[in-house]
Amino acid sequence: MYWKYAIKRVLYGLLMYAILIFIFSALFNTVMEQTLRAQIEEQIRGETMRMTSLNESQLENYVINRRNDLYSLYRLNKPVAERIMWRTWDTLTLNLGNSTIIRSSKGSRSVWDVVSEAVPKTLLLFSVAMLIDIVLGLLLGLKKAQKAGGFLDKSTSVGTMVVFGMPSWWLGMIMIMFFAYGVKIFPSGGLHSTPPPEGISYFFDLLYHLALPVLTLVVIGFWGRAFLTRNIVLGVLQDDYIMAARARGIPERKVLYGHTMRTSAPPIVTMSLLALLASVGGNIVYEGIFSWPGMGNLYWIALQQNDVPVLMGNLAITTGLYICGLVILDLIYGLLDPRIKVGGRQ
Amino acid sequence: MTVSDFRRSASEFWREFRKVRSGVFGLIFLAIFICILIFEPLIVPYPEANEKWRDITYWQDLPSSAPPSWINLFTSKKRAVSESIEEYAFSETLAGAMRIQEYVFEYDYSASVAPSDVVFHASGVGKPTVVISIQRPDGLSIDLYRKQLEMSPTQDARVSIDRSAQTAAMNFGKKYSPSEGVQLQTIKTTDVLFSEAKQGIFRSPSPLVGIYKLKVTLLLQKAEEKIEDAFVTVAGRVHGILGTDNSKRDIWSGVIAGVKWAMLIGLLTALVSVSIGVVYGVISAYVGGWKDSLMQRIFEIFISVPMLPVLIVMSAVFKPNIWVMIGIMCIFYWVGPVKTVRSMGLQIKEETYIEASRALGASNTRIIFKHMVPLLIPYAFASMALNVPGAIVVEATISLLGLGDATIVTWGQILQAANSGGAMLSGMWWWVVPPGMAIAFMGMTFAFVGFAMDKILNPKLKTR
Repeated sequence: MYWKYAIKRVLYGLLMYAILIFIFSALFNTVMEQTLRAQIEEQIRGETMRMTSLNESQLENYVINRRNDLYSLYRLNKPVAERIMWRTWDTLTLNLGNSTIIRSSKGSRSVWDVVSEAVPKTLLLFSVAMLIDIVLGLLLGLKKAQKAGGFLDKSTSVGTMVVFGMPSWWLGMIMIMFFAYGVKIFPSGGLHSTPPPEGISYFFDLLYHLALPVLTLVVIGFWGRAFLTRNIVLGVLQDDYIMAARARGIPERKVLYGHTMRTSAPPIVTMSLLALLASVGGNIVYEGIFSWPGMGNLYWIALQQNDVPVLMGNLAITTGLYICGLVILDLIYGLLDPRIKVGGRQ
Repeated sequence: MTVSDFRRSASEFWREFRKVRSGVFGLIFLAIFICILIFEPLIVPYPEANEKWRDITYWQDLPSSAPPSWINLFTSKKRAVSESIEEYAFSETLAGAMRIQEYVFEYDYSASVAPSDVVFHASGVGKPTVVISIQRPDGLSIDLYRKQLEMSPTQDARVSIDRSAQTAAMNFGKKYSPSEGVQLQTIKTTDVLFSEAKQGIFRSPSPLVGIYKLKVTLLLQKAEEKIEDAFVTVAGRVHGILGTDNSKRDIWSGVIAGVKWAMLIGLLTALVSVSIGVVYGVISAYVGGWKDSLMQRIFEIFISVPMLPVLIVMSAVFKPNIWVMIGIMCIFYWVGPVKTVRSMGLQIKEETYIEASRALGASNTRIIFKHMVPLLIPYAFASMALNVPGAIVVEATISLLGLGDATIVTWGQILQAANSGGAMLSGMWWWVVPPGMAIAFMGMTFAFVGFAMDKILNPKLKTR
C-alpha cells in the first residue's frame, strides 16, 4: 500500500503549501498592493507620454478609465478578503506578476522567469555539497562509533561543537579572504568566468567556481553529519541482535557495515536530507557572499533593489521547494522503513 | 514533585554533569561571557559604542582602517600607535589688547610608519586665530595652519593636520625633492611631515624619529575669549586591541558591545520558544484525541515553513526592532522540542502516578504543570542551550542583509559593514574575523553545555 501512502502524503503537502501561501498573501498583502499600484501608475504614465494628439480633459479621462480598467484587471477594486484569495490563487498557479527592476538573463520581467533561472543553480550548489558532506560524515561517523570515547571520537566531537554556532557565510568570507584574495587559488565568486568558456572547458570552469563554496559548506557541515551518524549507530550497536551477531562470530566489519548500517540507514538518510533542507533554508544567504546566482543571491539582490514582487515570488518558490523536500523525505523514509507504509502513520 | 525532590534531582544532575569535561568548559566560557557583560564599561576604551555606533563625530579622532596595535610585535616596520597627548608647556604674552597663548605639545615619534593624523582639540569661548606649526627633530620648522576658529564651550573645536596642512606639506617637500607628477590631492601630509628632508620624500619617505614639537598659538582679541581643555590626539596607523574599520570605529568596543545583544537574543528566544514548545507538546500528548490531531496539524504547518527566507521577507517588509525580531524568531522556534516532548509526554501519561492523581480528582492543569512538565525540565534546558546559537546566527544573518535594528550594534551588523565595505578584498581580517569568531565562540559555549546535558539525558549515547 505504498502508493496510497504516497498519494496521501503528496496531497497533504499540497494542502500545506496552499495554507502557507494564503498566510503569506494575507501577511504581505499591503506591501504587494502598494507595489502593484505603483506599477500601474507607471504603466499609465508611459502610455500617456505617447498620446500627443489628446487634449487635457481627454487625457485626464483616459487616465481615469485606464486606471479603472487596470484595477479591475488586477482586481484591486474588490474587497480585501477577495483580493487575498485571488493573490493566493495567482501564486499557487505560478502567476507571480512582473518585477519592478530585476530582469532575467533573457531580459524578461516576469518574476517566474527570474526565479526559475536561479533554482537549478541553488540545487546544484547545495546538492553537490551535501553529497560530499554525507559521504564524509558517514565514514567519519562510523569510525567514531566504532571506537566511541576514543581519541578520534572525542576530538571530532569537539570539532562538531566548534562549528555548531558558526555562520556558514562567515566562514565563506574567511575562505574568500584567504583563498581568493590572499593565496589566489580560487575565484572569489560567480558561476563561471567572464566570458564563459565553450564546450568541455565550461564544465571544468564551473567546477572550479563551485570548489570554494562547496568546500566551505562541507567544512561546516560534515562534523554535524558525523556526530549524528555516530549517535544513531551507537544506539543500534547496543541492540541485542548485534550482540547476537557478534556472539555468532560474524566479523566486526560485517557487523558494522551489514547489520548496523541496515538499521541505521533510514534515520541517517532522513536526518541528512533534513539537514540539506535546513541548510537550503538556513544558508540561503550564503550564496550572496560567493555571488553564486541562485535563490539566496536573488534575495540579496531583491533587497538591494527593493524589488518586492521578486522577493515575494522567491519566497513562494522557496517555500514550495522546501515542502517538496519534506514530502520527498517522507516518501524515501516510507521506502526505507517498512513499518511506515503498512497501515499508514499511527 | 516537591521542592526537596527537585533539589535532590538537580544535585544529582550536577554530579553527572561535572563528569563531562566539555560541559564544564562550556560553563567556564559562559562565565567568561557573563564577566565581559558585567565589566563591559571597564574593558572597552569607548563605552558608548553601543549608542554612538553610527555617530560619525564620536569616532572621528580614530584612524581609519587601522590594524590592531599588537601586529607591531610581528612586523619589522613598526607603525605609529594611537595616543592622546594631554601635557603641554603653556605660555601667555600680552601684545596690546591681544593675548597670545602658546601651547607646545611634545610628540615622541619612534615608529617607522608615520601616524595617519594629528588633531588639535580645544573648547572655549570666542573666535581666536589659531596658528599651528611643527618643529622637527632636525631643527626644521613648518607652518601648518592659520585660521580663525569658532569655539564653543560644549563642543570640541578640532583641527586635523592631515587634512588642513596638505599644501604646507607639499611646499615643504618641494624644497628637497622634485615634485613633478606629484598631485597635491595624493599627498599624505603626515608621511611628509614625519620623514627625513631629502630626495624622495614624496614617493619613498624614510622616517625621521625623535621629539616633534607641535606649537599651537592662539591670538585672543577680546577679554572674554578663553580656551579650555586643549589637547592633541595622534591617530596611529595601528589602533587598539582589534583595530578600526573604514568608518574609524573601534572594532573591539563594537565586538564587546555585541556580547550583551547576542546573549539577549539567544537566551530570550531559546527561553520563550522552548517553554512554549514544551507546554504545547505536553498538552498535546495529555489531551489526546481530536485536540491532539488538531494541535499536530498546526505544528506541521509551522515546520513546513522555511524559517530564514520568511524571516528575511518579514524583516524587509515590517522593519522590526530587536524585540519584535526576537518575537518573530520565537514564532518559528517553538516547534523545535514539540515532537520529542510529545512522545515523552505520551509515555509519562501512562505512568500509574498520573492515574492515581487523576483518581484523586486533580485538575488537568495541575497534572500537566505539576506532574508532567517538571519531568521534562532537564530536556528543556538541554534544548534551550542548543537553541541559543541558532537564534544568534539567524539574527546575524538578517543583519548581514542590512535588515538589522539600526539602534544597536550586533556582530552581524559589524560583519555587514565589513562585507559591504570591501574588507575581504582589502584583506582587513581584523574587521571580519573577530565578530564571526565571537558568534562561533558563543555558539560553541552553548553547544558544549547543551551536548553535555544531552549526553546525560540519553544514556544510550554513553560510550561503552
